[in-house]
Amino acid sequence: MFAAIDLGLRENTAERIVRIALFIGLAALPGLWHGQYALGLLTLMAVYGVLLIGLDATVGYLGQVNLAQAALFGLGAYGSALAVQAGAPLPLALLAGIAAAVLPGAALAIPALRLEGPQFALSTLSFATLSVIFLNESESLTHGALGLSIVRPSLFTLSLDARSFYWLCLVVLFIAWWASQTMLKSRFGLSIEALRDSPTATDALGIGTLRHKALAFAWGSSLAGLAGGLHAMNFGYLQPAAFGYDLMVMLLLGVVFGGRRSQWGAFAGAAVVAMLPNLLSNRTLFFGLVCFGCMLTLVSPIRALITRRVPSFREVAPAGAMAVAFGLAFMAANLEEWRKGIFALFLFAAVVGLPDGLAGAFAITLQKIIRFKPDPLPPATGGISSMEMSVGSALIASNLSKSFGGVRAVDNVSLEIGKGETLGLIGPNGSGKTTFINLISGLYVPDGGSVEIAGKRSAPGSLMSASAAGGARTFQNLQPFSGLSALESILVCQGDGGKSEAMGLLRAVGLEDKARLRCSDMSYGDLRFLEIARALATKPRLLMLDEPAAGMSKPDIVRLVTLIASIKKAGLSILLIEHHQDVVAELCDRVAVMDGGRLIALGTPDKVRHDPKVIEAYLGTEDVEALVKCEMEPKLC
Amino acid sequence: MDAKYLALVQMAVGGGVMGMAYALVAYGFQLTYAAGKAVNFGQGELVMLGAFAGITLSGIGLPYWAVVPGAMVVGALLGWFIERVAVRLALKQRNEGWILLTIIVGLFALSSVENIWGREDRPFPVPWPAEALDFFGISFTWSELAIVVGALGMMTLVELAKRYTMAGIAVQAVSADPDAAELCGIRSQSAISLSWAVSGAAAAFAGTVIGPVTTVGPTMAAALTLKAFSVAVVAGLDSGFGLVIAGVALGAAENLSGYALGSGWREAPGLILLILALALRPQGVFGKKIIRKV
Repeated sequence: MFAAIDLGLRENTAERIVRIALFIGLAALPGLWHGQYALGLLTLMAVYGVLLIGLDATVGYLGQVNLAQAALFGLGAYGSALAVQAGAPLPLALLAGIAAAVLPGAALAIPALRLEGPQFALSTLSFATLSVIFLNESESLTHGALGLSIVRPSLFTLSLDARSFYWLCLVVLFIAWWASQTMLKSRFGLSIEALRDSPTATDALGIGTLRHKALAFAWGSSLAGLAGGLHAMNFGYLQPAAFGYDLMVMLLLGVVFGGRRSQWGAFAGAAVVAMLPNLLSNRTLFFGLVCFGCMLTLVSPIRALITRRVPSFREVAPAGAMAVAFGLAFMAANLEEWRKGIFALFLFAAVVGLPDGLAGAFAITLQKIIRFKPDPLPPATGGISSMEMSVGSALIASNLSKSFGGVRAVDNVSLEIGKGETLGLIGPNGSGKTTFINLISGLYVPDGGSVEIAGKRSAPGSLMSASAAGGARTFQNLQPFSGLSALESILVCQGDGGKSEAMGLLRAVGLEDKARLRCSDMSYGDLRFLEIARALATKPRLLMLDEPAAGMSKPDIVRLVTLIASIKKAGLSILLIEHHQDVVAELCDRVAVMDGGRLIALGTPDKVRHDPKVIEAYLGTEDVEALVKCEMEPKLC
Repeated sequence: MDAKYLALVQMAVGGGVMGMAYALVAYGFQLTYAAGKAVNFGQGELVMLGAFAGITLSGIGLPYWAVVPGAMVVGALLGWFIERVAVRLALKQRNEGWILLTIIVGLFALSSVENIWGREDRPFPVPWPAEALDFFGISFTWSELAIVVGALGMMTLVELAKRYTMAGIAVQAVSADPDAAELCGIRSQSAISLSWAVSGAAAAFAGTVIGPVTTVGPTMAAALTLKAFSVAVVAGLDSGFGLVIAGVALGAAENLSGYALGSGWREAPGLILLILALALRPQGVFGKKIIRKV
């Protein structure tokens, strides 16, 4: 279309410059724009900024709808207020606020973080309701519905007026912003992105799903407590009802409106939530805003109509919502009364029309206009040749059994894989191969039997424990970290080791030139190779490959065989489930055959191929000659 | 019988009746969850709208037997509308945007109700007398009886329709596997729309039977959503009539703990139990266990 401007800057650097400029501007505002009321709004915006950056940790990064943030904010506010009443200095009071939010938050997190989706939302909602009940009813502590009044403490010897308190809030916001950004861009942040896409894979690769979830939740809760402390000192008066359902909905929607997974988005959301009541009280301003919204939302349906296409729901719905808001602006006698409704309309338009929020939409537009310098990739080092060898037997599975209802999926199977051995596991569909791998890798708890990987007993049914013992697996149904790039997928699986080692692994599986590509944009075959590289990045002693060639094209299969052969040559023990018999015959030292959950044969590929029981399992009980006859003369059958 | 004991039983029964109402609203969650794995976080607002529609319809002079179906039609239309504007797109994109969008639509509904019908609570007119019935020393109003009969009747009717009509069987097929159903010539989208409409009708019906007992106002929505959702999740989103047991238990627990701990705390034990139940059995007390497949 048109050439993008090349700034020659890295995106990170550019962002940092703009962010610092924003904060300088915000700090200078009270000097330019006098008035107690405006200052109050700006302070509220900074406090909400801290709160929403915290909420974004769960809603954005973890991808879970967290409805407890308003309550944690309230608990933090009360905690700090009570500390101030007890005579604590300002920093200590803020710490008390953080503790008052984090401790109950942890009590909630232990049961809630095992849940997903609606169940998680509900448990946080219950927690929020409980907290408000607690604040209302513990009258001896909080004065219940009457409210709690405090006087703002001084910072050491400095007594804070409204303006210096605003600056204090800005400093806290800046630190919270910077800390969140740094943390969420590090390996910790990558892990969180990864577990959102596939919690099973993050556990199986030893990243630790629950641990990361708990840390992210704790971080969000502590920011809520910190924001609560600032809020208490800002207003000097607290009431439990202020931290209820209404605030929670506003906060949640603020984060979504601003843009998830972005501190900029959280800040934009905070600004909207803080300023909203004001926008509505000024009718002219509101009219202007609605007209602007209408024009903005009409662009895409009109563009669709010009190209003679029926506009899609996503193009029409925001315009519809804005039209209703436009109607309200004329009809409603008192706009303040319609505050929630109007907010809902704007949000509806934003959520449908801008799924990435204001910040997301802005970032996408910016990336179209300005070309940033990409982060440099380090040269590849290492690779498969430097693998660790296993000590003793790589795997000893003894008497493993697993039933689902009445089906014995795995029935008393014992199997040993020697040091550096490649063992093929074959069998007809439904014979229990994948269930067997799921038992060894700790996805399922076995009904009986034990698993020992590289000499270490792993706890039954614990993916993390199997991974810690040295097991690493790939998945028959791909479990990619869709939000990460290929390089990041490797980095997140490495316990230590830097980017150049990760590049080395990518080179080994032939994906070196796709390092920056997002997993969601990669082809099926490439993702299969990436899964193997991911497993290798954990430095395993036993590599479990669950049908790596399934769905692969012929040339890819050739590549795969070469890859597995080189892994084998490096001395790694491999358990290979595969349907392509030529692949199995070429690579495996021994082959085990399963049928109906039982191990029916074990030996060299040649021996197994001629085993009558194996032939029977694959071809049925009929005479082989009869089958051949059927193929020649179908009419006879 | 001992008077104090009798009073406790009376309280438990009163709570259990409200619990039946929660179960009825929760049933609406179950219907939409089965069809499209999404629920309406604004279901409480739908119940409220159903009740207000009923009040308005009787205000223009319709008899009770026409008011209830009328409100249900309004509910069905709203249910269909919510699926169309708030759920369909998010499900197509396989994200959880529907949680937010249903909250947003509920927020708009709440704001509209506040401005159209006002913030005050209103009585819901019924044709039966207000005095209580006596049943072995436990008193019961006709309106409470209506909740019990209505909830069980509505759920039974829908369950029968699900099993014995073509449309019901189609909905079940879609809930098992929408793509496979589509290959068999079932329009998955229509089946999902249908279940949202039925869910909306059930919510509006719940409004018409809850309204006479609690009175109708904008504040009823949020509390109902939370309680009905608790019942649905604790029982399990695929638990069928397990809902009724969970609902009655929650309602009774609420009333009894309100008596034992003071009215401000009446909801607390139920909520703690809810968090514990979720921690121990995420799939619900009566739900089927999910096996992870990779």
